[in-house]
Amino acid sequence: MSRNLRWSALVLGMLGTAGALALHWMVFFWVPTERTMGVVQRIFYIHVPAAWVAFMAFGIVALASVGYLWLKDERLDRAAVSAAEGGMVFTSVVLLTGPLWGKVAWGTWWTWEPRLTLTLLLWFIYLGYFLVRSATENPERGKRFAAVVGIVGALDIPLIHVSVQFFRSLHPPPVVLKPEGPTLDSEMLVTLFVGLGAFTLLFFSFFLFRYGLEYARNQMVRRGTPSEVPGLSGGLS
Amino acid sequence: MEYLRMLGAVVWKDLVVELRTRERFAAMAGFTVLVGILFNYAVDPTVVDPQGIAAGMVWLTVVFGGMLGLGRTFHLEEDEGAFQGVLLSPIPRDALYLGKVVANFVLLVLVTALVFAVFGLFFGLSFGRAPGTLAAVVALGTLGFVAVGTLFSAVSARTTMGETLLPILVFPLLVPVVIYGVTATKSLLAGIPAAEVEGNLRMLAAFALAALAAGAILFRHVVEE
Repeated sequence: MSRNLRWSALVLGMLGTAGALALHWMVFFWVPTERTMGVVQRIFYIHVPAAWVAFMAFGIVALASVGYLWLKDERLDRAAVSAAEGGMVFTSVVLLTGPLWGKVAWGTWWTWEPRLTLTLLLWFIYLGYFLVRSATENPERGKRFAAVVGIVGALDIPLIHVSVQFFRSLHPPPVVLKPEGPTLDSEMLVTLFVGLGAFTLLFFSFFLFRYGLEYARNQMVRRGTPSEVPGLSGGLS
Repeated sequence: MEYLRMLGAVVWKDLVVELRTRERFAAMAGFTVLVGILFNYAVDPTVVDPQGIAAGMVWLTVVFGGMLGLGRTFHLEEDEGAFQGVLLSPIPRDALYLGKVVANFVLLVLVTALVFAVFGLFFGLSFGRAPGTLAAVVALGTLGFVAVGTLFSAVSARTTMGETLLPILVFPLLVPVVIYGVTATKSLLAGIPAAEVEGNLRMLAAFALAALAAGAILFRHVVEE
């Protein structure tokens, strides 16, 4: 892992952690309580930024995968797998914080609400991405297959979104990105943006660390290190 | 023209092999009829109105049964390196993929017709007033399913996990097909006029087209060595 990469990963990680700490302070002590939902609404400032990062990560996976299949550049594959792993972490955060809020606000842990369903399916597409990657004898083949999963998954996500929307909708409508402009209280909006910023920084820090790790692994494989090194083939290790 | 001839050759080869062995069709047909029998005990028809849940039963049976056949799309050619021979032939990769899709589509449509016939018989279903539209829903839904399934069958056949990986890769992607297919079938079986499901038909067609295009472009990256 080159020195520059490590330093940028570290700096981004520290900024992201500081942002996340500030976010938690704001969520618990600063931001006003929402009128109808009460205290439980505060999880929104964790949930929404995590969802934003999860979907952004999947976009990066898809773009890097297209690039990898096209140019066959190892760096693009490393970028794709790094984004996928970060994406899966944040997708899990969304899937954990959603039901916590849903239990109080909707009275149920799980409901077949479109955005929930979409996020769960996204998680499973990520799962397929890692399974296919680690289930080939030839690592180069695994990279290509994973790229195919990443691209088809990204193409399908909008279709899944439209179809689950068609099925039924219960999720609170968007409060920020809508034509009339945001209807959030300004303090709430600031908290949300701190969350978005902190999580995005954290994601890119994870991304760079993971990228360096993948690079180191590839170097070891190239030098003929025995395959006993755990998780050498990449994947969920 | 030459392209279509090569595509046709792939379709012809696959269908002739299937006609001679009947391996995949027999497996899928047997599976789906048996699922119909099991459904009879899983869902008490004297309590639940079978007409109400028939659309869901039919589609899930087709999807599960289809996994058996689609998973083995490349099985025959995996033996003794026969697929190398196919790859060495001057057929463009996308024609090869589309040929495989067409052959699988023919197979799956036959299986789906069987499922409708058998479930209709078992559960006393009536097929509504627009059988033509129902056929279009089935055809477009199956095409989308087969387009995704064939691409990932090529992927899973080359992994150490084999066919067990196929449903994990394909099911999340199939959600639009199941949603639009089941809701349209349900409306049509309930006798709702065909004009009401036009939106579903359009979405099924869009999914099938997108899946075919993606498959045709990406297939070469799956089979190349």
